[in-house]
Amino acid sequence: MTSILDEPLPPLVSALERPRWSCALGGALAAVGALPRTIPVMHAGPGCASNFTWMQNGSGGLATGGYCSGLAMPGSNLQDSEVVFGGHERLGEELANAIKIMDGDLYFVLTGCVPEVIGDDVDAVVAEYANDGKPVVFASTAGFKGNSYFGYEQVLKTLFKSVVEKGAPKQNDLVNVWGVPPTQDVFWRGNLQGVARLLQLLGFRANYFFGSGADLDLIKKSAGARLNIVLSDLYGIEAAELFKELHGVDFISTPLPFGAAATEKFLRTVGAALKVSGEAVEKIIDAEGRRHYEYLEGLLEVFNDMEAQRYAIVIGDANYAFATADFLAEDLGFLPDLIAVTDDLTAEKREILLTKRSARVAGRYGEKSQVVFIADGAHLTEAVDDTWRAESWKKYHPAKRPAIVVGSSLDRGLAAALGAAHLTVAFPVSNRAVLNRGYTGYDGGLTLAEDVISSFIAAR
Amino acid sequence: MSNLDLTVPPRREDRHHETCLAYGGTVCGSRRPGKRCALMADAERGFTQGSICSLLPGLGIMCSLPDTAVLLHGGVGCGSSIHGINGNVRAGHNARRGKPFDALWFSTALNEVDVISGGDAKLERAIKEIDALYQPQVIVVVASCLPGIIGDDIDSVAAQVQPAVNARLLPVHCEGFKTRFMATAYDVIYHAIGRNLLPAPDEKIIREEKTINVMNVGSMGRIDEIEIERLFEELGLTANFYPVFARPESFSRATRAALSISTCPTHDDYFLTHLEEKFGVPYLIRNMPIGIANTSAWLRDLAEKLKLPQVEKLISAEEAELRAALQEFLPLFKDKRVFLSAGEYRSLATASLLKELGFKIAGIRSFHYDNFAEVELEKLRAGGEDFTWNVANVQPFEEANLLKKVKPDLFLGHWHGNQTAGRLGIPTHVIYNTGYGYIGYRGVYDLARRLHRKLSNTAFTDRLGKYGRLPYRDSWYQEEPFAYIRSKNAANAE
Repeated sequence: MTSILDEPLPPLVSALERPRWSCALGGALAAVGALPRTIPVMHAGPGCASNFTWMQNGSGGLATGGYCSGLAMPGSNLQDSEVVFGGHERLGEELANAIKIMDGDLYFVLTGCVPEVIGDDVDAVVAEYANDGKPVVFASTAGFKGNSYFGYEQVLKTLFKSVVEKGAPKQNDLVNVWGVPPTQDVFWRGNLQGVARLLQLLGFRANYFFGSGADLDLIKKSAGARLNIVLSDLYGIEAAELFKELHGVDFISTPLPFGAAATEKFLRTVGAALKVSGEAVEKIIDAEGRRHYEYLEGLLEVFNDMEAQRYAIVIGDANYAFATADFLAEDLGFLPDLIAVTDDLTAEKREILLTKRSARVAGRYGEKSQVVFIADGAHLTEAVDDTWRAESWKKYHPAKRPAIVVGSSLDRGLAAALGAAHLTVAFPVSNRAVLNRGYTGYDGGLTLAEDVISSFIAAR
Repeated sequence: MSNLDLTVPPRREDRHHETCLAYGGTVCGSRRPGKRCALMADAERGFTQGSICSLLPGLGIMCSLPDTAVLLHGGVGCGSSIHGINGNVRAGHNARRGKPFDALWFSTALNEVDVISGGDAKLERAIKEIDALYQPQVIVVVASCLPGIIGDDIDSVAAQVQPAVNARLLPVHCEGFKTRFMATAYDVIYHAIGRNLLPAPDEKIIREEKTINVMNVGSMGRIDEIEIERLFEELGLTANFYPVFARPESFSRATRAALSISTCPTHDDYFLTHLEEKFGVPYLIRNMPIGIANTSAWLRDLAEKLKLPQVEKLISAEEAELRAALQEFLPLFKDKRVFLSAGEYRSLATASLLKELGFKIAGIRSFHYDNFAEVELEKLRAGGEDFTWNVANVQPFEEANLLKKVKPDLFLGHWHGNQTAGRLGIPTHVIYNTGYGYIGYRGVYDLARRLHRKLSNTAFTDRLGKYGRLPYRDSWYQEEPFAYIRSKNAANAE
């Protein structure tokens, strides 16, 4: 078998190697499972639920979480008879009984491949209940229609169309936040809450939809928010446009603010959009920066003596690859010379992503990074040239050493082959337990610095 | 005509006459006729929760095979469980080969265009690319639901491409909607192996008189295999564990063995009959070596077939040593009420084991029922007691209802299946996970040691129970736990 560092492989054309995401249903289910007091109702084949449960438990930081998650979620478990005769009756029965048995404030129907190929009219079944005053909504999430990120976006769109109430009273201190897909971002809980704390510093309440602290009543009233913040260059942007169209709330898009440098930019951008005075924002940045560096100062001697500065290969999705690389470059002074984006992106989306990021790192070290798109893992070998290799036959070799690979659990082999340290931050995360840990904000930056440095001192 | 002459193997529900997926009653009551009291072949539920299809256990086996690429033909999400299963794949390789290896898998990621115009051409290209780029010995081509509906034909594609590639191609059908029994997965994989990886039956077979095929589709980890090897060594036998983690080139050894023995009867009959019919390898499929009496019975079956009278000496020595070693754990177990949930055979056999340790059985849940279970059910019935028994492809709402009523002291559930009990504050232990020992005499001791540890400090679940939430209405707990089980035919007739 060919190992990752044998002869470079041309990319596969007709299949994906170990795709680092799931299908639309997988992404949607992770999102719905993270909504407060919400019961997902899966209209799909009989194995989709266990498939996603095994995925979340084994590679989502070991946590399924959620109010009605894992195999507890109701599902129609379609069989061959429904494939022949249609599954809408089974769905109707399932929904009626789910409402009787499951204690939820919202029942969220999601469709898999089977009912969508056989043409079940799910809208009609759901409308029957919705017209009857039952809190039932529906998102179309067949696996063949898209990936996890698409599924996440479909859930947001359904929320904005069917759950968020039109004409809610204005709440000037309320801001909506999304762009962090649960499970696909394994640190989603901590990342959302880290951003909520930053908004609090600016004097605002955050409605962040998913996870602990989210509130269904607040979601319903979220049309009254002053601004929508999408913590992503790509995920949730279409949903933000829909929100604007339906409810008239503007949005801004920012990267995930990992660490102090990104957080300063975040506070300035968001502060300006929310019309917080520049002076007030700078005061916050100054105070928080001092607090932050009280910690980092303490690390300085060891950081220096152990030669902690590293070359880095960063592998992650459109949110993580750049947020992590830019933290390493701008906060720790690392040299993230190779950035691999693992999403399956259209040329147009790649362009958007690169343009937005170039503007952010103009004039900084990050500008020098080589960016590759590796929707299938085999691509990466093309980019890892001799300078990354631990051993070389040359007497004088400008080796990129010491190095660290910051990516997913699947990148352990690459790190080992390069003699580099390895830290898992991107999905799949199977070798770490993740509960409320997050990397956003000042405190998140300290956590990420701890994790990075811990990855190469484990043997001390 | 043998089943293996068919391109697609028959489903469990068509192959076995007595099968059941929904039952609520008791172990003894399952034999008595009457509404919801007896096992009904057409039993179903009017409300169902997340379940498991044949793809999940299927992938567990396929992803373990060394030098094998697994190519999923279906939606891009169908392989997602492998991100979780991969931990077991790595640990399994590490235990057997001294190094962890990640599962190598691919997806054709069928999209909207493919659904309309068919995915056969894409599949053909994908097979050729993987063969050229990764050079695996075997490419397993797995169909999930979509190909089964849009009419893609993985068998024809594989047959057509086979001459053009070096890897052996194994078409495997795991279209989830096609069978209600996830155990069909074992049949379809054995079917694919039998059709594609075994030598031609007319080749001369040089019998290995001391080699015994020990069937393992993943219900035993390496630690359990070591226990079987230890016992076999005492009897002068060698175990050929098969098929998980088995190298493709070693598959032919299975045809030369003196005997095949199942470690979990619900898994293996399909292949064992094939090995006997085509290669003259007799087989045993009766007991599961979980528990003291069960292990001894399993060994006796083997020894009787192979004429090894020394087995009695081994059994009495092993049992005496084990019983002495268990003494220190037993006081803590005495009369504690335990609830079990797992695959058919494991749940029932483990109940017998826990009775041997002095536990009282508060209830048993089995993922399905087929006629193989009768041997194990009879052992439980013979004790003169009766137990609550629920047949359910997971269905945690029934479990939550039962546990609230039964209030056991301990719960043993399948992996990823202990959440309901844990949130109710019941101490939990995993009834099956390939990292831990369960099988043979050492397995009994290992499990007892772990349960003793668990019950020595239950703070984690005690506190979880205080704050944990389950997503059911209070009114559900007032209802009968099996209220949603019904006869399909009766429901249609109404």
